[in-house]
Formats: sequence, structure tokens, C-alpha cells
Amino acid sequence: MSHFLRRTPKLLVLTALAVAVSAALAARAPAVGAQAYQEKDFLTRIRRLTVEGRRAGEGYWSKDGRKLVFQSEREPGNPFYQIYLMDLGTGDVSRVSPGIGKTTCSFINPETGDVLFASTHHDPTSKKQQEEELAFRTSGKERRYSWDYDPEMELYVRDAKTGSYRRLTNARGYDAEGSYSPDGQWIVFSSTRDAYARQLSPAEQKQLETDPSYFAEIYIMRADGSGVRRLTQVPGYDGGPFFSPDGKRIIWRRFDTTGVIADVHTMNPDGSDDRQLTDFKAMSWAPYIHPSGKYVIFASNKLGFDNFELFMVDIDGKKEPVRVTYSDGFDGLPVPSPDGAQLAWTSSRGGGREGQIYLAQWNHQKALEALAAAGPRK
Amino acid sequence: MRQKLILLTSLVALATAAAQSQTAAPSSTRTYVETLASERFAGREAGSTGERLAGDYLAAQLARMGAKPLPGRTTMFVPFDFTAGSKDGGSRVTVGPSTFSAPQDVVALSFSDDAEITGSAVFAGYGIVVPESQNFGYDSYATLDVKDKVVVVLRYFPEDADQQTRAILARYSDLRYKAMAARQHGAKAMLVVTGPRSPNAGQTVPISFDTALSGSGIAAASITGKVADALFAGSKPLRDVQQQLDSGNPHVAGFPLPNVTVTLKTSLVREKQTGRNVVAYLPATASGANGAKPWIAIGAHYDHLGLGRAGNSLAGKEDAGKPHLGADDNASGSAAVLAIAEAVAKQPTRRRNLLIALWSAEELGLVGSSAFVNAPPVSMNQISAYLNFDMVGRMHDNKLAVQATGTSPGWSGLLERANIAAGFDLTLQPDPYQPTDVQTFNQVGVPSLNFTTGAHVDYHKPSDTADKIDYDDLDRVASLATGIVNRLMDQTDPPQFTKVEQSSQTVSRTGARVFTGTVPDYTSNAKGLLLSGVVGGGPAEQAGLQKGDVIIEIAGQSITNIYDYTYALDLLKIGQPVKVVYMRGNDRRETMLTPAARN
Repeated sequence: MSHFLRRTPKLLVLTALAVAVSAALAARAPAVGAQAYQEKDFLTRIRRLTVEGRRAGEGYWSKDGRKLVFQSEREPGNPFYQIYLMDLGTGDVSRVSPGIGKTTCSFINPETGDVLFASTHHDPTSKKQQEEELAFRTSGKERRYSWDYDPEMELYVRDAKTGSYRRLTNARGYDAEGSYSPDGQWIVFSSTRDAYARQLSPAEQKQLETDPSYFAEIYIMRADGSGVRRLTQVPGYDGGPFFSPDGKRIIWRRFDTTGVIADVHTMNPDGSDDRQLTDFKAMSWAPYIHPSGKYVIFASNKLGFDNFELFMVDIDGKKEPVRVTYSDGFDGLPVPSPDGAQLAWTSSRGGGREGQIYLAQWNHQKALEALAAAGPRK
Repeated sequence: MRQKLILLTSLVALATAAAQSQTAAPSSTRTYVETLASERFAGREAGSTGERLAGDYLAAQLARMGAKPLPGRTTMFVPFDFTAGSKDGGSRVTVGPSTFSAPQDVVALSFSDDAEITGSAVFAGYGIVVPESQNFGYDSYATLDVKDKVVVVLRYFPEDADQQTRAILARYSDLRYKAMAARQHGAKAMLVVTGPRSPNAGQTVPISFDTALSGSGIAAASITGKVADALFAGSKPLRDVQQQLDSGNPHVAGFPLPNVTVTLKTSLVREKQTGRNVVAYLPATASGANGAKPWIAIGAHYDHLGLGRAGNSLAGKEDAGKPHLGADDNASGSAAVLAIAEAVAKQPTRRRNLLIALWSAEELGLVGSSAFVNAPPVSMNQISAYLNFDMVGRMHDNKLAVQATGTSPGWSGLLERANIAAGFDLTLQPDPYQPTDVQTFNQVGVPSLNFTTGAHVDYHKPSDTADKIDYDDLDRVASLATGIVNRLMDQTDPPQFTKVEQSSQTVSRTGARVFTGTVPDYTSNAKGLLLSGVVGGGPAEQAGLQKGDVIIEIAGQSITNIYDYTYALDLLKIGQPVKVVYMRGNDRRETMLTPAARN
């Protein structure tokens, strides 16, 4: 659930490396049994869902498929994301986060309809940060990093009935990227709390200053915030965790220590049986399991360092992933609807650098066909 | 085959309808389009019988729905006068002992005053004055005294100048612009000759279509090479003079033509006609929460090109003179307006009045809508918003362009919400300076939108017929717009108006004289120039270009948008092949294109 739209400037610095990686990939890439597919084989009636505001992304469905929660920058005075809930029946859209500070990564509790999200609104400097960011934009300068893994970021839940907010986490460090288990009893999330809880070596301290995401690990807790347990132990950014449709596995993406290469993994909810599903030697991230449980849709820049496309891979990662999107610009953060017949994702295909949420009909049968025809994983 | 296509389309429509919990119903727009685009209305040219019959039909439909003439009026017809065309009324020019007459050797320019002028003649080169603000010194009048004289200028701009120079001079080479420069320097008349080194050498300029009701303050006419020879009898031959000027060197000056006295009589016959806007309204049934701006307006032009004789037809030779039925342009928009009115008429509650306008003479330069806002039966500051529909019947890939979104900060949120059920892939274009009636309302400060599915190969041709309209999607456009109208009616505060500055890069056909046969997709925000088609037999088709190609470079100029392309066209020379680089899918390709002459 993290934000590579924002991290792009950092990525561009490393383009030379990416070219080398791509070249290496190309060198060992005779197409084996590859059938030519087009975007329209999998996605039809593609359309831009969010229109208002500068940017929007990360749309997640309610259990009944009637609502979509997402983040968007669309109100004057706050240059950071806030969380909005869209009613796909009536077309009503309303803000469900407090409106102050930064927020990200929302998710709807499948049982209660409560909305989970990460926010910094308790930070007394929030307003000042908003003003500074707006002033910075007015100055016309380019920022190198804008996603700062703010250690003030904490998980909150908004009660669907009362509209009141409850804070779930209380550890210094970035706590975000949370999502519920299918029964609504558990939350998996990503946190950098480890970096703030212990004495760091000088090398680690330097790492924290340049790239705090290095310390992000996957955690699990009860929906009320109790019983927090750490699930991953490997250095490098672990983030974007979601439960499988049957609740028996967790899927997430793991970065290497350089923060350049990422791959999709699954594990048991107790952290055991880690399996790696992708191996593009590129940045493969934002995985989400199709409701059928048979395959995973994810984003990767395999084809070019700033060219993110959607791919899909069988749930065991035994076969070579199949490309899904074929459009200019960014395509990422795919989330199938609960009935598996639609796909919401974030794309910049409408022009410009900022993303908006797109929606399309998803051809599940064609996806199964293409996955069955795919060659063994290279 | 057609059956099959229709079947597929309705399946898709059903899938969408399911999401909106609707069942398949008869089209809300098909009958309107088929009637308006029928042979009976003969292309609905403003002022014609076809336009009159179409207007009667529209008014009858509106009356059937229960719409009424605007308050204080007894009829839905709101007439206006306009100039339908001009012809030379017997101009002549006398050079020394010889007299030349129209239409063989002299033809008045369409914006000329009627006058008889006698004066000595001064040759002023290409007659181009680049404004000082451009920081590019070029002034054909810099060394000349033309006060009370007859100025002779060359048509177009220097033929051999480098690309950068041509690009700048081309912008100031429109004949109207040249006439204005001559008048500002005190000249009483301007004669234009097409130089021997230019395309259309020695020919007069056809009277172009001009809707102005009066002249431009100067007598102006074009002359043949024969008349020019008489003028230049006592000086160097025009060919040599032009060759010097063609370098683009700003220091090559014009000169008085020795011992030549010219008498020019100009006479233009402007054919005045009357067009009819059809305007009605559905009265509010309940008052709004605060009563602010109690009107909402929707509109579309219903006129088209008739037989295509006014100069804006793109018909090929084989189709010239046939009725331009204008099914997409703009029976489709008119049908959408009727369908919206019909839906709103059936609703029990309306919190604002809905003004319903079908404009005429849009094709002649937004004449009908402009006449309306200049003498508005309803005060413009009582109208909270205007929605315009122009060419909404030829959808591809579910893409709907919404233009003029910059006219209010409220539009994007409203469009997002209304489109969630409608499900279009919307492209938003903030610019309100579009070649359609939305511009008229923007200029009087009304927050406005224009909906369009864009240009296509049948644009302004007799082949724009009703069987090519996609009715399922046209119905969807009407229902999206109905949703927007309802939200606007219920909204307590009307949308705020934001003034959008007009880009200096406006698409202008001034000075353009080359024809490439490309049909740009104006709804695309893609990088480069996306073609929505190519003109059959035109240079682009001959070069192998086709619909869907994206031109990214022409003649060494990189193309990122329509403005770049228009600008680059000024640099092309007729008959001189240029390299075109384009994308077809993911393939980068190259071809050579040979521009042809436009009239």
C-alpha cells in the first residue's frame, strides 16, 4: 500500500542502475510459449473513476462491493491525502478522515463498515506542515522526497455508526498500510517502530535519516489494536500486507536492502512459511489476491524503470507472470472487487504525473486462461 | 455484419444498465437524430428551408414535453439576422489607361468596404507588420509613406525564409491582418496579388466566408497577375522583386510604383438572412433553498452545412454539393438536449427553471448563440450554469471529453459524482475557448461545460449520417447530463465562475495554406497528435497514416499537442515532402508526407 507515485523522483536518480537491470533481463529472455495478449483481453470499459482534485489513489472495496474507500488530495488548504468514501450506487462522495494533517492507506472493515486509515492529525505541527508544503509548491521548486514515512503516522479507525475516531497504535514510528482479515477480527500493517524502540548502530542511524522505510516490517494485531505481533525480520522495506480471501495467508511485498528491487511474498498469519512469488529483478509490489484465490495481481516496473504496469501471477508463483496493462504512464495498486468481476487501480494514463483511480470490467476467465498458458517461472 | 456489431454493443450496454438497475428501453435519442439528419431537412443550413423545418420540428417536440416559450415571449423562435455570404458586386480597378473588372481580374475581399478610391500606388512587399512585443523586427511599412495611397501587397509570407522566420511571419499574414496594418498606416485601399513565386500564382483570392455585417474600414481587393503587370510596368518585374523579399530579410523594402495612379472601386453584395434559435423552458415547480440564480441552461446547435457551399465543407470531389446531413454534427447534440429536457419534464420537482436552447448559425461562427446573449430574453446573471453538447454521437473506447471545466471550481466534483453511475472514461479539458457555443456563454461569465466525443473521418462531410451514430452511448451521455442538471437544480449555491485566460497558442488557421488530410482527435490529451482519421485520398492517407496513429514529429518539429501541430503546418511548403515520425501502438515509424495546397 505504499506510494511509489511519490517515490518516483528517488527512482529516477537510479535510472542508470535500472537500465543495467533491464539489459540483464533482456539478455535472458527468449519468449517461451508466450501468447500475445492485449489490455482489452483482461480489462474492458476502462474508465476514470475519480475526477476531482489533484490526485487520488488506493481504492479499496467494501465487502458488498457498493462502496470504495480511497485517498485523494482535493480540498483547498491541505496538500496531503485525505480519506474519502464513495458510494458507487448514488455517486455520493464524502470525506471520512479528519481533514487535518497527512493520511494514507485506508481499508473498510468487512463486518462493521468501520474505516481504517493512517493519520498524523494528532500532530500539533500538522497545520504548519500543510502551510509549508503549500508555500513550497508555490515556490515552484521540485522536491526530492515527499513521502517521508512520518513517525507521527498512526493507525485510526472511524466508527461507521457514530463517525468518531479511535486511535489503534501508539508507538513512535510510521504505522500505516493497514488492512483487515476477512472476518474483520485482525489487522495487518507495516511499521518502522523497531527503528525507534532500540539503540541503533551508527550505520543504522544514518540509514534511518536517508531511508527510514528500510526499517518497515509487517505486524499483526487484533482489530481493537491489542496483541501486536511482529511477523517479518528481514532488513529492507516490508509493506502493503493484505489477507488472502480465505484469511489463511498474508500477501505483501518485500524490498531488498537497497530499496530498488522488490518482490511479492506470501506467508501464514503467524509469519511462517514465507514463499516468494515473483522474481523479475525489478520492483514488483502492491500485490492483491483475486477473490477466487487463484492468482495475484500486482504492479512491476520490469519493462522500464518509471513504467509501472500491472501483471498477474498464479497463487503459488510457479509460472511466469502475465502482463495485464499496456498503457502509457503509471499503472499500479490493483484491487479486484469482491465479486471478482471488476478491477479498481491507480493510473496516470489520463495524462500528467499524478494518479487517479480507474475502474474496469475484469475478465476472470481470460485471466485463468492466460495464467494456464503461461510458461514456467524464469 | 452490422447486425452482429449492434448485438455486441447492446450486450455492453446491458452490462452497464445492470449496474444502474435499468432494463433495456427504447433509445431516448434515435428518433430525434434520424429525423434531424434526414434528407427532408437537407443539412439544416442556417437561413434555409431545411433549417426552418428543423426548427419547427424541434419546437413541436419541446411543446409536446410541456416546455413553454421564455417568459414574456409568445413563441419559441428567437430570430436573428446574419450575413450568409458575399459576392463581388462589380468591383473594378483602373491602372493608367487600362481598366480591369470583376470577376475576371479583380475581386473584392470579403471584409472590404464599398468605396471608390483614387491614389498613387505604393508596393509594400508582403504587407506584414510583426508587433513590437514579439521582439522580431519585421515591418513592411518601416520606410514607406502610404498615407492616402493605394497599397499593393503580396499574398502569403516570404517563400524562402528559414523556418523560424516563416513561423513568425505566418502568424501575421492573414489578409485581414494585412488590411488592418495598411489602414493603420493611413492607406485608403489595399490590393493583393498572389506572387509569381507562390502557390496559386497570379490568381485572385476567392471570396471567403465572412459573417461580418459590415466592412473593415478599408477598400480591399485581390487582383490577377495581369493587373500586377500593369502596376509594375515601370519598375522591376514582380518576380524579381518577390525573389528578393522571399529571403525573409527584413531590410528588403517596398517602394512607390513610379507614375502609377490607381482607381479602385470595390463593391460587395452581402446576402443578409434570418436564422432562428429555438428556445424554450421548463418552469421550476419549487423554489431553491436560497433562490440564487434560478436558471440552468442546456443547449446545442442544430444547424449544419446544408449543401456545403459556404466553404467549410470537407467533402471530397465526388460528394461535393450533396446534403451534409450532420447526424453527429449536431443532430446528436440536439437529440441529447431534447432527451434531457424530456427526462427533466417528467420529474415531479424542479428547483430551478431549465432553459432549453437549440442554436442556429453555429457553423457560421457561433452566430445564433452570440445573438442570443447579446439581447438575452433571460438575464445572463440569472443563469447558474450552461451545458453544451456538440458532436456526442460517435464514441470510441468509452471516452467522453468534457471541455471548459476551468470555468468553475465546482465542475470536477460534480462530474465525478454524476459519472459514477454513468461510467464514462472522462477526459477533462479546462479551456473554454472551444469552437462551439460554450465559448459564447463563457464570455458572458456563465460557468459552462461542453460535451463531445470528438472529430472523425466523416466530420463536415455528407457521410456524417444517422446510421453511424452510436445510440446506446448517446443515450448514456444524455443520462449523465440529466444527472448533472438535477444536481445543479438541487444545489443551494450556484457554481462560481472562474475566468480562464485565453491561451496565446489558440489554434488559428490564419495563413494556413497547406492541406495534410489529417483529422486530429481534439478530445485526446495524449502526447503528440492522435489522429481520429485521415481524409480519403489526402496527403496523410497517401503517406500511409491511419486512424489511431500519433504524430510526434513533422518536418523536424516535435509535436506534443494540437498547437504544436498547427504551428508546424505553417512551416510546410506545398509539394515539398517532409518526414513525419509517428507511433502506431508501441512502434515508432517514419514516413514522408507531401503537403497539398488548400484554396
